Amino acid sequence: MGISNQTAQDKTNFKSELFQMLRLNVQTYTILLALIGIWVIFFITTKGTYLAPQNISNLFRQMSVTAFLAAGMVLVIVTGNIDLSVGKLAGFVSVVAAYLQANLWYKYLPDQPLLSAVLTVVVSLSVGSLFGALQGYIISYLRVPSFIVTLGGQWLLTGLILVVTAGKTIPANQPWFSDIAQGYVPITWGWIFGIVVIGFLFWNMFRSRQNKRKHGFELQNIYIDLLAVIFSSLIILVYVYNVNSYKGIQNPVLLLAITAMIMIYVSNNTRFGRYSYAIGGNRDAARLSGISISGMVFNIFVLMGFLSGVGGVVLASYVGYGTTAAGAGYELDAIASCILGGTSTLGGIGTIQGAMIGALIIASLSTGLQMMNVAPAWQYVLKAIVLVLAVLADVYFKKNR
Amino acid sequence: MDNDIILEFKNVTKKFPGVVALNDVSFKIRRGEIHGICGENGAGKSTLMKILSGVYPHDTYEGSVIFNGEELRLGDSAIKEAGNKGIAIVYQELTLVPTMSVGENVFLGREPLERGAINWNKLYADTREILTRYQLDVSPQVTVKNLGVGKMQMVEIAKALSEKASILILDEPTSALSETEIDKLMDILGILKNNGITCIYITHKLDELFRVTDHVTVLRDGKEIVTEETKALTQEKLVSYMVGREMKERFPKSNRTPGDIVFKVENLHALDPNETSRKVLSGINFDVRKGEILGIAGLMGAGRTELVMTLFGEYGQIVNGKIILNGKEIMPANARQAIDAGLSLVPEDRKGMGLVLIQSILKNISLPNLDQFAGFFRIDADAELKASMEQSKSLTIKAPTLQVAVETLSGGNQQKVVISKWLLSKPVVLIMDDPTRGIDVGAKYEIYKLMNDLAKNGVAIIMISSDLEEVLGMSDRVMVMCSGRSTTTLSVAEATVERVMSLATGMSS
Repeated sequence: MGISNQTAQDKTNFKSELFQMLRLNVQTYTILLALIGIWVIFFITTKGTYLAPQNISNLFRQMSVTAFLAAGMVLVIVTGNIDLSVGKLAGFVSVVAAYLQANLWYKYLPDQPLLSAVLTVVVSLSVGSLFGALQGYIISYLRVPSFIVTLGGQWLLTGLILVVTAGKTIPANQPWFSDIAQGYVPITWGWIFGIVVIGFLFWNMFRSRQNKRKHGFELQNIYIDLLAVIFSSLIILVYVYNVNSYKGIQNPVLLLAITAMIMIYVSNNTRFGRYSYAIGGNRDAARLSGISISGMVFNIFVLMGFLSGVGGVVLASYVGYGTTAAGAGYELDAIASCILGGTSTLGGIGTIQGAMIGALIIASLSTGLQMMNVAPAWQYVLKAIVLVLAVLADVYFKKNR
Repeated sequence: MDNDIILEFKNVTKKFPGVVALNDVSFKIRRGEIHGICGENGAGKSTLMKILSGVYPHDTYEGSVIFNGEELRLGDSAIKEAGNKGIAIVYQELTLVPTMSVGENVFLGREPLERGAINWNKLYADTREILTRYQLDVSPQVTVKNLGVGKMQMVEIAKALSEKASILILDEPTSALSETEIDKLMDILGILKNNGITCIYITHKLDELFRVTDHVTVLRDGKEIVTEETKALTQEKLVSYMVGREMKERFPKSNRTPGDIVFKVENLHALDPNETSRKVLSGINFDVRKGEILGIAGLMGAGRTELVMTLFGEYGQIVNGKIILNGKEIMPANARQAIDAGLSLVPEDRKGMGLVLIQSILKNISLPNLDQFAGFFRIDADAELKASMEQSKSLTIKAPTLQVAVETLSGGNQQKVVISKWLLSKPVVLIMDDPTRGIDVGAKYEIYKLMNDLAKNGVAIIMISSDLEEVLGMSDRVMVMCSGRSTTTLSVAEATVERVMSLATGMSS
């Protein structure tokens, strides 16, 4: 194939194309660099314990609840809406899940831990989805702005949490239920899972190149594609190796990874995703193109409610309790994750991948600062600075592109 | 002698990475004249204006601009500087704050102060003074959003002039105006000229150049092609300068014989959905044949856009009447139903309603047609790409790939994307609301040819246009609207400018 005599030319192309790719995707890379920077700083200041298996394990589990919320929030913001109720909704769901176990299953389904766990999950997810549907209905069909509806929703849920808990903490620690967020994927399965994902990344790259060639599109230098895939694969391998040397991949992280992949697929490869971005990009053009705006917005709020339900289940299972303060402030973490990940507050732009990295950054900051015993007051100050700086860098790079 | 020259461009070259936007442009503008600048989109008109207004500071281009005998050296915060020197600009898009009064808009950012507080009496008195000096017929206190587009344009001019301007640049000022409003604007330009103000008039509309300008400069591909006295030019000559080739006819000829009636509207009455006491359509009757272009003429506010939006299920509340497509009565309640029935609508406001500007050509073309390629779980990316590619090829959309965002395209190419998207849905009736608004002569010609081809292939086309010549040049028959009613349908042979205007103004029926 004449590969050897092409190598010299390929090398120069490779350099310029790599540079161009970095320039065009500067936003994705700023956020990745910020994440790596944060990790390096904490690695140094904690003398290495920050990246120790046990801590990495905790870090990813800590981000998971916010990340479930952020995965739904991206589409909410992309369509030009906002949801301020998701934190309290996850909290409410976690309280309901606890209440069911402590007060109902205990009486009516004694010694049936699997069945009661399944029922708990089903009821929890339904509660989340129904609440999402209620809010979605008011927003899309009765045309009340989402900011107002979901602010009201937040207050309502705060009240409902107090009603259900009666101000007390309820245990949620039935065996199967606890495994949802406290369990680990067996080590061999962790490896298998990691390798399957890596295999998928390679397959996907080659398929997309093949498709482009079929349509006569210009192909990116193969080394750049390979570099990107190898880099991602390395991260996965390091992660799996790291957590496997502790107890393995945590169940909620696996669940999050699957959810994120589904959401990425939905946002890129389905009508539902395409319509969401079109609505956010230009509402009128979308409407005249035959898209039912009300229907879409309603569905997105139902989806958001469902994902809040998932977050609530993970929260209850992980903490082992339903408390009056459950989920407080999570909505802002979720929104911040989206914004850090490049979601535009004006609508029409934003990716699930970005929001996931955003959520990881926020969790990384929190755990790192906690490990360093930074006073809570300063934790807030530092988080504020990172958030605003990250968006500032983004604005700056966009202007200079 | 040089006193006669207010502004001179000397060998101005402006380069962007990969493109030379202006290539060694030199010409002079005389004091007190109206100087027209025309050229296709991308010819360099707006780059030229951005240099004058200071959007591009003086060290970012080569060559020099001489204003009143000295070189114009605008620095970094130049937009205000340009204003202080007496260069005033009225932009194509209106820049008024709709919720504020005329006076507030005119003095926005320069409110007369008295001990730190705004002196409202002075503000309104000064506004009235400017308005009366140039015979602009607007009241200073009225809120801008209650004005029509024509009056808004006047406010825009007053705002620019209140900076003691000696030179006024108007960038495509008539693209949203009706015929009568354009007449009024032409009068105002005359008044400005009598007051000693130099005007630079940028436009696509050639007849306006001939009506008001003293000299015309033609730009093409960043080069100055010619600067000539308007009297010495003809329309054909001007067009050939602009497109670089002879263009015998403004409208391409086509031989077609329309078939049977496919679309019919009978006695349609509809209410304004936001204010149901107001009737927007009161008695519309017309029909369109297969392979026919039906033009809809009428003045601004006659209800033309309201009519087509109502037919498309997205505006008026229908209280009476029938819409018949292929012999079946339809009553679209929204765009989806209209599309599924076989209608397509190229909307009036290309950027506001036709396109998702931040998205790619591909995504825009496929947006209303995803059902063709997608089930619930998956979009068939190959099929989508193939269909969009075919459309973009047959309409010759000029873009590096289908992946580029439509906001980076020129107006003509953007309009082709809108048309592509609506052709892909294989319409029986294609409704086009002012399809050539704000696009250059070359692209217009291509769109006319495309319309002829479509008609030949059996599509029924309904075309609205505020350019009467265009309606008469393209249509087989013309339906004239006047205050929400269809007056009559004329064959193109019967339709003369005078006849149509008298119907549109309600002087005859």
